[in-house]
Amino acid sequence: MQRVDHSFKAMGGPARFRMEVDDVGLADVAVTAAVAEVERLERKYSRYLDDSLTSRINRAAGTDEVIPVDAETAGLLHYATTVWRESGGLFDLTSGVLRRAWDFRSGRLPGQSEIDAILPLVGWDKVRWDEQGVSLPLKDMELDFGGCVKEYAADSAAAQLQRHGVQCALVDLAGDMAAAGAPLHGPGWPIGIRHPRARDSAAATVILPKGGLASSGDYERCMEIDGVRYGHILNPTTGWPVGGLVAVSVLADQCLVAGSAATVGMLKPASQGLEWLEGLGLPWLAIDMDLQCHGNLLEAGSH
Amino acid sequence: MTVKYAVAGLVLMLLCGCETVQPWERGLLAKDGMQWTPDIMDARLRSQIYASKEASSGGAGAAGGGCGCN
Amino acid sequence: MAAQKNDRNPALMALTSSALLLPAYQSVQADAPPEFAEAGMQYSKYKEDDITGKKAFGGGSERFDIDVAQFHLLAPVLDDWSVAVDVAWEDMSGASPWFVGESASGDPKVIMSGASIEDTRTEVSVTTRYYFDRGNGGLSLTYSDEDDYESKAVAFDGAFNSADGMTTYSGAISYSDDHIDPTQGAVPTNTTSASKDIYSAWAGVTRIVSKRAIVRFGLSYTYRDGFLTDPYKFRDSRPDERKEWVASGGYRRYFEEQNSALHVDYRYFNDDWDVQSHTLDVAWVWDYSPAVTYTPFIRYYTQHEAEFFNNLAQRDQRYFADDYRLSAFGAFSYGLRASRKIQNWEVSVDAERYQTDESWGVFSGEESPGLVDFWRYGIGLNYIFK
Repeated sequence: MQRVDHSFKAMGGPARFRMEVDDVGLADVAVTAAVAEVERLERKYSRYLDDSLTSRINRAAGTDEVIPVDAETAGLLHYATTVWRESGGLFDLTSGVLRRAWDFRSGRLPGQSEIDAILPLVGWDKVRWDEQGVSLPLKDMELDFGGCVKEYAADSAAAQLQRHGVQCALVDLAGDMAAAGAPLHGPGWPIGIRHPRARDSAAATVILPKGGLASSGDYERCMEIDGVRYGHILNPTTGWPVGGLVAVSVLADQCLVAGSAATVGMLKPASQGLEWLEGLGLPWLAIDMDLQCHGNLLEAGSH
Repeated sequence: MTVKYAVAGLVLMLLCGCETVQPWERGLLAKDGMQWTPDIMDARLRSQIYASKEASSGGAGAAGGGCGCN
Repeated sequence: MAAQKNDRNPALMALTSSALLLPAYQSVQADAPPEFAEAGMQYSKYKEDDITGKKAFGGGSERFDIDVAQFHLLAPVLDDWSVAVDVAWEDMSGASPWFVGESASGDPKVIMSGASIEDTRTEVSVTTRYYFDRGNGGLSLTYSDEDDYESKAVAFDGAFNSADGMTTYSGAISYSDDHIDPTQGAVPTNTTSASKDIYSAWAGVTRIVSKRAIVRFGLSYTYRDGFLTDPYKFRDSRPDERKEWVASGGYRRYFEEQNSALHVDYRYFNDDWDVQSHTLDVAWVWDYSPAVTYTPFIRYYTQHEAEFFNNLAQRDQRYFADDYRLSAFGAFSYGLRASRKIQNWEVSVDAERYQTDESWGVFSGEESPGLVDFWRYGIGLNYIFK
């Protein structure tokens, strides 16, 4: 068995496949297919690309045009609806427009009127979709699949590697990971979990035999004004930062589910977030505002 | 005569359904009414009854056992 | 370890089941045993119409009255296996044609077996099946026993899916060892003990043609060797070999607007006794509501007479049979099946009317006075162990 690594850039960050294979030629074919799959999803759903499906949907907002969707997009819309419902409306793919009010580099808080002007454009229940098509009823409404596509892409890339014969693989898309088969020696892929204070070293190591590990962090983009920390995770119903947990990592059979579970944990106020994570029954880790660690990920995830 | 039918059938099969139906699009095919034999007992009974009243038998598998159908 | 307590948390179950609908989580059709075990029972009765004085000597007579009780069980075993058990009890009573004679006006008429025939048949079949990721294979053992007939059969079948899951290749072979020890009494028989062997092979291809339709094509060959004569029919003498070919095709298509599935099956049969037949089965499986399904069906069958079939034996016939089953006729049947689901139970009732006539067939031949019509009724109960 040989160890093969492949690094590339995708979805706005570093991407890496770690594999163990007998046949390097086979690995090359698999890598090509998996990279193509990640790039396909980026081209389809990125809101930064003009000809992506997301951009087409957003340009048609407020018109009567219904953008046709395929089974995959319908599946993502259905999934987003499920998470929206289970999170009590906090996980909302239309909430991206609120970034227009928040500029984290400026060090300036938005005025309430700026937020009030945008809030009517937010609301998953306003989105009209079915198995055939989707449309946004108000001009300037936006759909942003960013809340699930990266995790879904990790799962899909891992499935591609597996379908092409790679039996031990770890897909890492800037911290969202999907394992398809554990490495030959050892119980699983060793993954370092970063502590928000010490950004370069791992706080702990978790072993991932299969499934997905996703992390959500509020420590990358934030502002501190008058001693109060404003994170970039915004509550879609108020438009203001949640101010809850600072970092969450969840382990699940699918990176997509792990990612949504972590995101919802961050969207709730701290104590409710901890309850949500505890209640799911998955291995989890959360770090609160006081940099206290909660959760069983380190016991459950390591051997 | 049978060979003619066999060839015609195979050609028909090759001609139809050239576009792959993805696994997640096969929901309709999984419905109860779309199973090839929705009811096993009913199929066995009717097959047995017809074979005992007619000169033909078979059609969906190897012949299996016989009976003293009179 | 990613330990998911799926059965405990509804939110997690909701997210997971919603996620699994997405393409990335669909593995190419992995073959697997059924998720839940199921058991069923069915009781059916079919009654052949009386034969009239026009067709039979002695002013007419009743014919067969048959009760059938069936039991079916299918259960997954461990991760990769399943077991199926099928039992059938058949209770026959009534009279049967003994031979055909000529009436005073020169018409062929049946002489029925006078006394009533009473026979019970029990058949037990057990199938074990192994599932691997691209297909499955099964081994079946069947034992059938009745007063005068015993059959022991073994069959092996397999199915293999193509890489894209769109095509399934299947095959089956079987061997049956049968013994007949005719019951002496009602009519004189022309043997006291005899046996026959049946060898059969079948190959088929099933293909998904669209999101809502599948098609199947199959070919089979059966070889019967041994005593094939009917011992209860006077002067019946049949070859001791029979080679049969069957070509079959089927189509299943779903109609979303009507919540229904169309089933069409066609079979062509040909053997070396000169019997040829066409069979066409059409059914419409209509989900009237999530719990109620109605399935009307029709069937058309037509056969060519056997080479040695005659109502009255000709002088230089080496083989002879006046059995209506080997004559030329067309058969038309129609019926309805209705079922209702109540939680894990399903109740069903069905009825069928079957009628035959020489003029309904596409092959013309000598009309047998013994052609039969019958009514069939049934009631069934199924349970899924969820």
